[in-house]
Amino acid sequence: MIRYIIRRLLWGVLLLIVVAALMFVLFRILPTGNPALLRAGRDPQPKLVKEIEVVLGLNKSLPTQFWDYLKEVFLHFKFGYSYYNQEEVRSLIAERLPATLSLTIGAALLWIVGGLGVGVISALRRHSLLDRFAMGTALVLISAPEFWLGLVFLYLFASDIGIVKILPGAGSYAGLTSDPWKWFTSLIMPWIVLASGSAAVFARLMRSSLGEAMKEDYIRTARAKGLPERHVARQGVRAAINPIVTLFGLEVGALLGGAILVEYVFNIPGIGELNYKAIQSSDFPVTQGTVLLASMFIILANIVVDVAYAYLDPRVRYS
Amino acid sequence: MRSHKTIAAGVLAAALASTLAACGSSSSSSSSGTTASASSNGASSVVPAGYQSTVNESLAGKRGGTLQVLQESDFEHLDPGISYFALDYTVVFATQRPLYSNEPNSTAPTPDIASGSPEVSANNETVTVHLKEGIHFSPPVNREVTSADVAYAIERGANPNVANPYLTTYFDSIEGVPQAKGGPIKGIETPNKHEIVFHLTEPKGFFVAEALVLPLTAPVPKEYAEKFDNNKPSNYADYEVATGPYMLENNAQGKVLGIGYVPGKSATLVRNPNWSDKTDFRPAYLNEIDIKIGGSQPVIDRQVLEGTNVVQNEPVAQPAVQLAAEHYKSQMVLSPGGGNRYVSLDNKVGPFSNIDLRKAVWAELDRAALDRARGGDLVATVASHFIYPTIPGFEQAGSLTGPKGLDYNEHPEGDMTIAEKYMKLAGYSSGKYTGSSTIQVVGASSPPEKEDAEIVNQALKSLGFNTKLTLVELATMYAKYCDVPKEEIDVCPTVGWIADFADPQTVLNPTFNGKSIVATGNVNYGQVNVPTLNAAMAAAEVVKGREARAKAWGKIDDEIVEDAAAIPYDWETSPRLEGSDVHGVGMLWNEGCWDYSFTSLK
Repeated sequence: MIRYIIRRLLWGVLLLIVVAALMFVLFRILPTGNPALLRAGRDPQPKLVKEIEVVLGLNKSLPTQFWDYLKEVFLHFKFGYSYYNQEEVRSLIAERLPATLSLTIGAALLWIVGGLGVGVISALRRHSLLDRFAMGTALVLISAPEFWLGLVFLYLFASDIGIVKILPGAGSYAGLTSDPWKWFTSLIMPWIVLASGSAAVFARLMRSSLGEAMKEDYIRTARAKGLPERHVARQGVRAAINPIVTLFGLEVGALLGGAILVEYVFNIPGIGELNYKAIQSSDFPVTQGTVLLASMFIILANIVVDVAYAYLDPRVRYS
Repeated sequence: MRSHKTIAAGVLAAALASTLAACGSSSSSSSSGTTASASSNGASSVVPAGYQSTVNESLAGKRGGTLQVLQESDFEHLDPGISYFALDYTVVFATQRPLYSNEPNSTAPTPDIASGSPEVSANNETVTVHLKEGIHFSPPVNREVTSADVAYAIERGANPNVANPYLTTYFDSIEGVPQAKGGPIKGIETPNKHEIVFHLTEPKGFFVAEALVLPLTAPVPKEYAEKFDNNKPSNYADYEVATGPYMLENNAQGKVLGIGYVPGKSATLVRNPNWSDKTDFRPAYLNEIDIKIGGSQPVIDRQVLEGTNVVQNEPVAQPAVQLAAEHYKSQMVLSPGGGNRYVSLDNKVGPFSNIDLRKAVWAELDRAALDRARGGDLVATVASHFIYPTIPGFEQAGSLTGPKGLDYNEHPEGDMTIAEKYMKLAGYSSGKYTGSSTIQVVGASSPPEKEDAEIVNQALKSLGFNTKLTLVELATMYAKYCDVPKEEIDVCPTVGWIADFADPQTVLNPTFNGKSIVATGNVNYGQVNVPTLNAAMAAAEVVKGREARAKAWGKIDDEIVEDAAAIPYDWETSPRLEGSDVHGVGMLWNEGCWDYSFTSLK
């Protein structure tokens, strides 16, 4: 297993290099591409543009620039400086990572508990009124864009602009260490909004997967042996959980790279918001940094999921 | 290079000598409750009746309190040597004091750390400025400001690690600036601690003196800043000291980053303990300004309209303007002078190298519809020429109606009869275009630019042109198409410009002078290159005196309109929102952004 994990990690590093190369090339062929021109003001003088290119290292050949970039990223974990405000990208990311972690972990807990709970009940009580209501609600939540849902929550419940002023609104996020209570209350609405869509997907997936599992021969055998239904259902859930774990890993990995819309609507200073603003202002070093970070999380999440398979399903063994 | 929506730098000034005198002498009397008068230049005429305006706000206020500011965008550069954008200026002009500044609702420059008006020599080749005594840097520097600090501030602008974006544009005539790399500049002399002299190689002293309102002239202490300026790029902004009434909160070492400014999150302005109101015209009512960065514009607008102690500091979303007009009228302030917007037509190649075809399009275009698409008369006024309200030369260029006797400019809703007259003059006897060219129209895909592009495209079609309309992201529109002459785009429907400071040269010279055309980042979008026009601009550049310059550049504006070099359709007005208990004072010279040194809580 250890050898397997090491191999996967090495492939992960290779994949990150490929992602970095793709990003690097992509940003240099984009039409808004010359950051020196963007930095040189409204009426850019050619001499000034050349000087800025030298300062930013853009006068070097592309392979040299890429090699310098890779060295900085992999040896020093440095992503360069923002073209927009000249701040170090590493600090910008470090500054924002806690907010994204807070948002993602809280929402993930919410959707895994809510989604799986509803999915299991729906699967075990198929076609009941409860099942129909739960699946109908799930469909609505899947269809509701996060941006819209976020605004609805704010206009309903935010303490500043809401009709029922019960929860802190946009821009109220505080760090966990600076004010734990404010941290918790400011994230209630974002957690619900971020979790709702995923919880709905998980509920539907669990319902379908568990429904299939409960038709399997071994379930029939277990029932025939007289096992209590609770134990039978537990066996079914264990068999149905694998696709859920895969999806969970991917979603959490992607969200750690930034929940752009939710962070934007609720003004949570996270990675997603940083990335959104960087794209808007053609701030390539920041975009490269956040995309690489997101890729790293997705790769790690995949590895974790694969390892988790081995523990969840005895038939899976890695050599 | 880009839409003035995105670059939005602007220090606008005045033309009328009488107003200059009034503003110049107002000193720190603003707390007495007077209403400062603004220079005219059409500023009042474009604000609808019944609305608050930056033109006539009261400058009186109550001392104390903390103001919350909500803004979606982050700052770009808070270093006074780099800063060039309207939003950045809100902090820069509260913390830094250039040689000259503007009072918020005046467009006339006022001596700031200078003790009086600049002295321009008779031959227009030397500018001398005397500095006030008793102005100190904030901690940890603490010492008194001298003329050497102003000299260093300008010199570092030429340092590639700082790379000031307008040094060569406005100060190129100072001896040694074209060759400067960050060291001493030959043409900047400091005979004593409170005097600085600029020696020029061309007779452009008056224009250079006008440009001294730019934040590049705010003093920077060399012994403190030099080590930061040696970094590539300079990180002086992370440790910058202040001379204004406020400073970005810092620690004992002067570090601002992560304390007074957290990129993408917040900025905190606190009182500068070394500032004295005896040397400044700013009242500085507020104790603290807490700026929260990020969030979505619709939410911010609602938070401000329904909140207290809070303002927003960016262009307001159109639905919020309507909401404020209907229900929160007293919480919206309109600021004229937001720049011009026009349709650029390729004067060099293609069908629109024919002046009569340009006039035909002008005549047919429904400019009023273009303005309605942008939000109507609260935020836009139909333009008839290029020097916009608040800029000297506006009146001389025909004020609201533009030059007389030009029939294609007389019907804002468009007139097909007049358009057909010019089509016939261009050689199309049917009154419709029958040539084989397909007109390339490139606009932006986001509203309201998209709607504007479609209206322009429709006008072209109604004149018989075959068009190919391409809608792309705004930045791409400029960077790939409209800024690049070799792309030969026939029509860019939504370009615009805003002055860097209150001189009409800064409106017309970059955008219509043939000498301004460059291969990339070109802002003479239509490649206008008329020898007589270029010569007139060269002559106007060296004119002394605000009234004389207004007259000279107003005449040039007339000539551009007579040449139909581009089609102006909008003089922009910028709305800003404030909480119900805030007395926000907007900067007329900076797109109406709030002036933290004059804003107060009720």
